[in-house]
Amino acid sequence: MDWSKFPQLAADIAALWAKYGFVNYFCGMGRTLVLAIIATVIGCVIGLACGILQTVPHARTDHPAKRFFLGLIRVILRVYIEVFRGTPMILQAVFIYYGLPYFTNNTVRFDNIWTVSILVVSINTGAYMAESVRGGILSVDPGQTEGAKAIGMTHFQTMISVILPQALRNIMPQIGNNFIINIKDTSVMFIIGFTDFFAAHKAVAGATFTYFPSATIEMAGYLTMTLIASFILRLVEKLMDGSDSYELVQSDALTMTAGTYKNPAKGSNFDEHSKEYRDNLEQSLEDRNFNARGDR
Amino acid sequence: MGERILEIRHLGKAFGSHEVLRDIDFTVEKGDVTSIIGASGSGKSTLLRCINLLETPTSGEILYHGKNVADRGVNAAAYRSHVGMVFQSFNLFNNMTVLKNCMVGQIKVLKKSQEEARAAALKYLDRVGMGPYINARPRQLSGGQKQRVAIARALAMNPEVLLFDEPTSALDPEMVGEVLAVMQILAQEGMTMLVVTHEMAFARDVSSHVVYMNQGIICEEGTAGELFGNPQRQETRDFLSRFRSV
Repeated sequence: MDWSKFPQLAADIAALWAKYGFVNYFCGMGRTLVLAIIATVIGCVIGLACGILQTVPHARTDHPAKRFFLGLIRVILRVYIEVFRGTPMILQAVFIYYGLPYFTNNTVRFDNIWTVSILVVSINTGAYMAESVRGGILSVDPGQTEGAKAIGMTHFQTMISVILPQALRNIMPQIGNNFIINIKDTSVMFIIGFTDFFAAHKAVAGATFTYFPSATIEMAGYLTMTLIASFILRLVEKLMDGSDSYELVQSDALTMTAGTYKNPAKGSNFDEHSKEYRDNLEQSLEDRNFNARGDR
Repeated sequence: MGERILEIRHLGKAFGSHEVLRDIDFTVEKGDVTSIIGASGSGKSTLLRCINLLETPTSGEILYHGKNVADRGVNAAAYRSHVGMVFQSFNLFNNMTVLKNCMVGQIKVLKKSQEEARAAALKYLDRVGMGPYINARPRQLSGGQKQRVAIARALAMNPEVLLFDEPTSALDPEMVGEVLAVMQILAQEGMTMLVVTHEMAFARDVSSHVVYMNQGIICEEGTAGELFGNPQRQETRDFLSRFRSV
């Protein structure tokens, strides 16, 4: 191995960065990050919506129209997920960017490259997230749903207040995965002319023929972005978990509920296992039995 | 006779070809404390879950103030908000504090304001002795404490009937007492309750009415005194003999 190449590489990179650093590389990174963040957020919203729709409970006793409607939604979602998960994003970009104007005789076309890029990456992320969210919802104990149902909450209320907050925490690692994948994979948007971090490399390398030094900058740049993203995501997970420590109440009036509740004037708790407590309890039970309702 | 809140008429439930409940008939009147006892697998819990429509009955009627709620097209959520349920596994919302657990139903379902909901939640949490724990998360509580919060959560909805599905079966023995004590207070205050339980002493001492279920049917029912003191059926006698120490 020729170690003398390293100073050479360093010099080339320094030269490239001095000339193209801010305008190409740095702005490219910014655009990559903005696209990845916006698309991941929108993708999550799409995924959450799909997750809610996919888990709407259906029973054979439901109204036929409702069952048909739910079935239709399921099929549509299934097709969406399978198509967008099963084809390369680079082709999806081409299909949407060129396909829509083609079929609508240019009445629908994208004048802003941001719109179409965000659209493509979002719906692609949404397809992945839909399955992650479904998994997240299934991972929440069914008892949580029953608890919510038992106090009269509807499916939608249950989802928003109880299930999704827990599912969201469970799928945070998945959301992080998608965000990091998006940071890297938005590079395929160069196919429709989106000038992100990777497009900067193409431009610089094309102008200077310094492929390897530029690629090194790219590698280091992408790794920096994803490492920072991982760190922030871990931090978010920690914040979602909340504090581990919890201040315990020192005066515990708890296990003697019956006694304390019935005798607030006494001021002191007394032990449920004490004779006094048992006698009181037995007395009150006897009184009650005596007054119990008779025949019906 | 008091006001009839629930009337169960010829209720049946089958999972596939397996009949869990057959021709169940009984009535819950205002102020009744009805205990449902019976061996595991006799359909007690399924009956309770049917009454709260967590399971859909395959036949029969559940009349709530004379209106059949097992009908197709009945708003199950609205009905459930009048019928509280306490589960064996607590089912507290893990993402909320104790206080929020007791407020969310009032705000979302009963459309109360934050302040009203908070006041009611605090009132009921104090009543079950959980006042000092309002900011705790469910995972920070013991089983007995969780169950008492679950009772407060159900009470905060101001239900007409409270259903208890083996509320102490998942608890350590030392915690059973605190939950039963809370339930006993509720019974004394005239709360209408329907309790599936294995606590024979509780069924005998606290309930006004006891239903013994065996293999999906009501085998025998009567007042607590009748059923425990002078059981008529051989099955009931056999079942109760296992709790002779009670």
